[in-house]
Amino acid sequence: MATNIKKLLLLGGGPTNIGHENELDAAAYERLSAIKRTGAQVIYVDNNPFSFASEEVQPADVYVQEVNFQNVVNIIEKEKPDAIMPKIGGLNAMQVAWQLEESDVLANNNIQLLGIRPIDLKKVLDNQQLRELLDETGEPIIASKIVASDDEAMDFVRDVGFPVIVKPLSASHDTSRFICNNTDEMEDALEISFKRTYIKWVSIEQSIVGYKEIEMVAIRDENGNKLLISGLEDMDPIGIHSGDSIIFAPTQTLINQEYQSLRTATFRIMDAINITGTCHIQFAQSRTDSNYFVTKVSPFFTRNALLAAKSTGYPLSYVSTLLEMGYALPEIKLPEKYSKYLPFMEPTMDHVVVRIPLWPFRDIPDVDQHLNTLMKSVGSTIGIGRTVEEAIMKAMHSSQFSPRDILPSVSKISDDDVINQLIHPLASRILILMEAIRRGFSIDELSELTKIDRFYFYKMNQLLRAQDFVINNPLSPTAVEVGHKYGFGDGMLAELWNVNISTIERMNRNSKTKVTFKEVEPSAGEFLETTNVFYSSYELENESQPCVGKTALIIGRGGNQLGPNAAADYYTAQVLDTAHKAGYKTIIMNTNPNAISLAPALSDKQYIEPIQLGNILNIVNLEKPDIIFLPGNRHYLSKKLKEFADLNIVVLPPDQKVAKYNQRKATDAVDLFIDHDRILPITTISFYTNSHRTELRYINNYQQPMNHWQTDEQKLIDLAINKIDTSQWQGLVQVLFNRIDDQSGYQFSGIRPIRITESAFLNKTTGINWIDALVKKYLGILDIDHLSEYYQPGTHKRYAMMEAVFPFKELQSNRKDGTSTQEVGSSLSFKNIES
Amino acid sequence: MTQRYLILEDGSAYAGKAFGSLATTTGELVANSTMNGYQEIISNQIYHNQIIVFTQTSIGNTGLAQNAYESVLPTAKGVIVREYENLATDHFKRISLDRYLKRHKIPGIYDVDTRQIRRHLQQKGNMKASIVDVADEHAFDQLHATVLTNQQVAQVATPKPYPNPDEGANVIVVDFGLKSGILRELSKRDCNITVVPWNSTSETILDLDPDGVVLSTGPGAPGNLPESVLQMIREVQTQVPLFGIGLGHELFAMANGAKISQLRVEHHGSNHPIREIITNEIFFSGQEQGYAVDSKSIDHAKLFITHIDLVNGTVQGLRHRDYPAFSVQFSPDGAPGPKDSVGLFDDFTEFMARRRDNNGDEY
Repeated sequence: MATNIKKLLLLGGGPTNIGHENELDAAAYERLSAIKRTGAQVIYVDNNPFSFASEEVQPADVYVQEVNFQNVVNIIEKEKPDAIMPKIGGLNAMQVAWQLEESDVLANNNIQLLGIRPIDLKKVLDNQQLRELLDETGEPIIASKIVASDDEAMDFVRDVGFPVIVKPLSASHDTSRFICNNTDEMEDALEISFKRTYIKWVSIEQSIVGYKEIEMVAIRDENGNKLLISGLEDMDPIGIHSGDSIIFAPTQTLINQEYQSLRTATFRIMDAINITGTCHIQFAQSRTDSNYFVTKVSPFFTRNALLAAKSTGYPLSYVSTLLEMGYALPEIKLPEKYSKYLPFMEPTMDHVVVRIPLWPFRDIPDVDQHLNTLMKSVGSTIGIGRTVEEAIMKAMHSSQFSPRDILPSVSKISDDDVINQLIHPLASRILILMEAIRRGFSIDELSELTKIDRFYFYKMNQLLRAQDFVINNPLSPTAVEVGHKYGFGDGMLAELWNVNISTIERMNRNSKTKVTFKEVEPSAGEFLETTNVFYSSYELENESQPCVGKTALIIGRGGNQLGPNAAADYYTAQVLDTAHKAGYKTIIMNTNPNAISLAPALSDKQYIEPIQLGNILNIVNLEKPDIIFLPGNRHYLSKKLKEFADLNIVVLPPDQKVAKYNQRKATDAVDLFIDHDRILPITTISFYTNSHRTELRYINNYQQPMNHWQTDEQKLIDLAINKIDTSQWQGLVQVLFNRIDDQSGYQFSGIRPIRITESAFLNKTTGINWIDALVKKYLGILDIDHLSEYYQPGTHKRYAMMEAVFPFKELQSNRKDGTSTQEVGSSLSFKNIES
Repeated sequence: MTQRYLILEDGSAYAGKAFGSLATTTGELVANSTMNGYQEIISNQIYHNQIIVFTQTSIGNTGLAQNAYESVLPTAKGVIVREYENLATDHFKRISLDRYLKRHKIPGIYDVDTRQIRRHLQQKGNMKASIVDVADEHAFDQLHATVLTNQQVAQVATPKPYPNPDEGANVIVVDFGLKSGILRELSKRDCNITVVPWNSTSETILDLDPDGVVLSTGPGAPGNLPESVLQMIREVQTQVPLFGIGLGHELFAMANGAKISQLRVEHHGSNHPIREIITNEIFFSGQEQGYAVDSKSIDHAKLFITHIDLVNGTVQGLRHRDYPAFSVQFSPDGAPGPKDSVGLFDDFTEFMARRRDNNGDEY
């Protein structure tokens, strides 16, 4: 069967924020290569300036606009697509698709909605209809009722039993909820709630707080063929948002019967909503019996859908796209590197993946840091190992803010605080859990307090015992072995024993266990798959053969945090792309499951390993790369790596520490590209901010070209070029100016390397890939004459604006002004210049 | 922790740590890639004479469920796993996995590179292996000299018939090394079950006045069983609805003239798509097979193929042209594995109901 879709409108995910980072862009990137194979033309709508996917589309077919109803209607009228694909644009795109249906735009324009039929989409988006649908399917859902009196509430409780959750219904953002275990507690809660709600309605629902949270990710084709990608188990119970929970793949504490019930339920729901492509369903599983409830149905691509794909090595985005376009599962043909059976084999894992969230509280401390049903994390890292302990340790290792190999711990807090945090969890919870074990809480007690399965405490306890052994036996060969087995990297051993890492490396040579790399592939060793995704473990067989030819190792940024991370990931992807096109075999090392830089097609080989010195050296020793790129400002790593004289290390962009400031204020800037003694002007920029603060660190909004460009642009460019000493400044360089007023003109503020976010902005606004040019410069293959032909100063038809997005609302903070370290993403827009 | 070794017929040896029984055993080495259900796998009688390598990274994370044993007396020859944690206990915390294995004299080895072993098996094909204390020349000599029994069915199947009464259809289950999942599914459908020994004659079976007969799963090669079993099947299928599963499927095929061949590498897992030919749909199910029906040998006047494995092309289901008799290679009971095809038990009860309604006239 083939598709008759000629022109397809793909809705993007928009700026990164809490709840979604680059995973939607990564999914879009993979989708595009699948769509290309069908021959369909893609129209792409997205206003994320750090979108790598949008660069895979013909520039004329990219609309840099917010994905909203009106914009999409305008695009449809102009482009007349045959089909619309909303499933990677998150809930927002699904809602836009529904608006298009409801207003007859789809019908009037004869546009096919891909992935789900309009009638089913409505059922899924409308809570009441979804409840009815699940009820008809026979799948259990939590009982809930809106009541107006104590009597009604009592009737409800007689049916469902305690505990229940009571919450006042009101338009305010008050999220108070009362968990009631008996009649007395409920009467109190009702009294308070009725007082708080001026409309005199109170919601009451069956409480499943403390249930296990299990997630299932599956795919389905038009003919009803279904395949489970993976089950995921949240270590934290229901009550803590899945996005803030530590997640394990595969599930660890379900017996076969429970697991199969949830799998069957997933398939039944997918049939009921006639979905094609990916579906992600969340369940609450009782700890004491086999009962479960369906808690959430996401008929679109989610963060954890990607986690399931990354965990198993299954090319989910690619396959899902073709299923949505009408292909049947057994017909799917994958790119050559995969075995032909892979698309329709159910993934089976022989490794453990642990995801640990990263929270923004270091950069935004003055908010409620408790973990609850509202998601607060901004990113995550994964650890992969052959044992649960190894995977936990690697994920913990990667989730630290510091690149140093220090064992994470929170030994300084008081006993009271430990107990308090066990009951009212805060960020980085696993450290508290481990500290509680260290202080002698029993596993049964901890499991009772936290509703976390005993299994996880046993595993943490094993880790603690291993850690004690390692600490107490410095430089013993057995301790090295134990450390390796439990996921302590060589760098961490070196730090713990206060020796140089080369000492550990020498010990390794005589060690019985050696570092080996295992492939993340979905057949658990049945087929010799070549996903080219590897993780380390200390075992017998190494499966990763060094790349042949010229090789470049690119060290990814790790988990997403606030600041320029989304841009850094885009930057990293560009470095990979350029190195690949320049004939290098590219090797990426990263731990962020949502990173675009980990998209399978972007590199020749991927290592999912902690971005730590010991792990980097293990890969370097195997691959012997000709060049190592270290994108982003990572002073510690670059310093440590540069101690190894034989490594050819390129830090991109050059360290911001080389910046020279006269003052920390600027209004305008000139961006330059400098190669040897050639200085190319790129463009001029005006900075602006929504706050009254004008210090550089508060400036997060950019406009290209500058204000007053008609009169001042050439003058400022000349000024800037004059300030440059090419023996000191190379590559992408920004000269800062402070505009006093019309009379006094511009004051020179300083010179700095162009920051990562702005490099991405320049790529999007000038139509020239400056990151590509920079990488080529370091690879020694830049044709500067070719580049200089592009630039045409003096005429501008539009302003391009990039404005920062801050997660203040999501974190329920009253803050308005953000610094550049508090950005979670940015949005891009254009405005025509009136002549 | 005691160090022990898994040694393979081809001379390779893997050191690991011991758990369960400390017995020295020899069996065929097979890898199971199902991600759940270690309890169901270890207790399945088809693993008689076999050492199971789990590709799932750890077993023992979850408890031993009272209702998840696939046999009373497990007869696997060993369990090899990357990670083992003795957390798993039964409901009353009396019996741990370690104790269960000790009680049934099943040795285990953990902390080995199971992925390497699995890949090795895939390349080299089926082979014998032993779990031993010392991997010396003597141990390998012993391994090479050991001849594994071909009487597995007789060793694990019930020697005497026994009933499992209920009020529904009267089903006779012929036990070749039965897994309990089959009984569980029949019980859910209220069947009045009698389990009979593998060597029961058609007279014995038909004298019990069955509405239908199930040929159970079991260990080993179907060719090891005498011709009398095939004769029994040929006679029974003409009288009542017949449902063969696993070894029962292979025997059903042989009884109707098909040949069986041994797989180069046994397949144990639930990751292969199985296509139901009539609907063209694919689904997943637990598969535990060392043998397959040779599709070229099928007499199409008697049988037609209902299911195939899309990965290795093996015949996964057969149906008789003249009688309501059918069989599947896989385990539709989902213990362990997906329950996508559990409806086959409904098909079987449907056949039985139809026969009852027609007073058996169509036979």
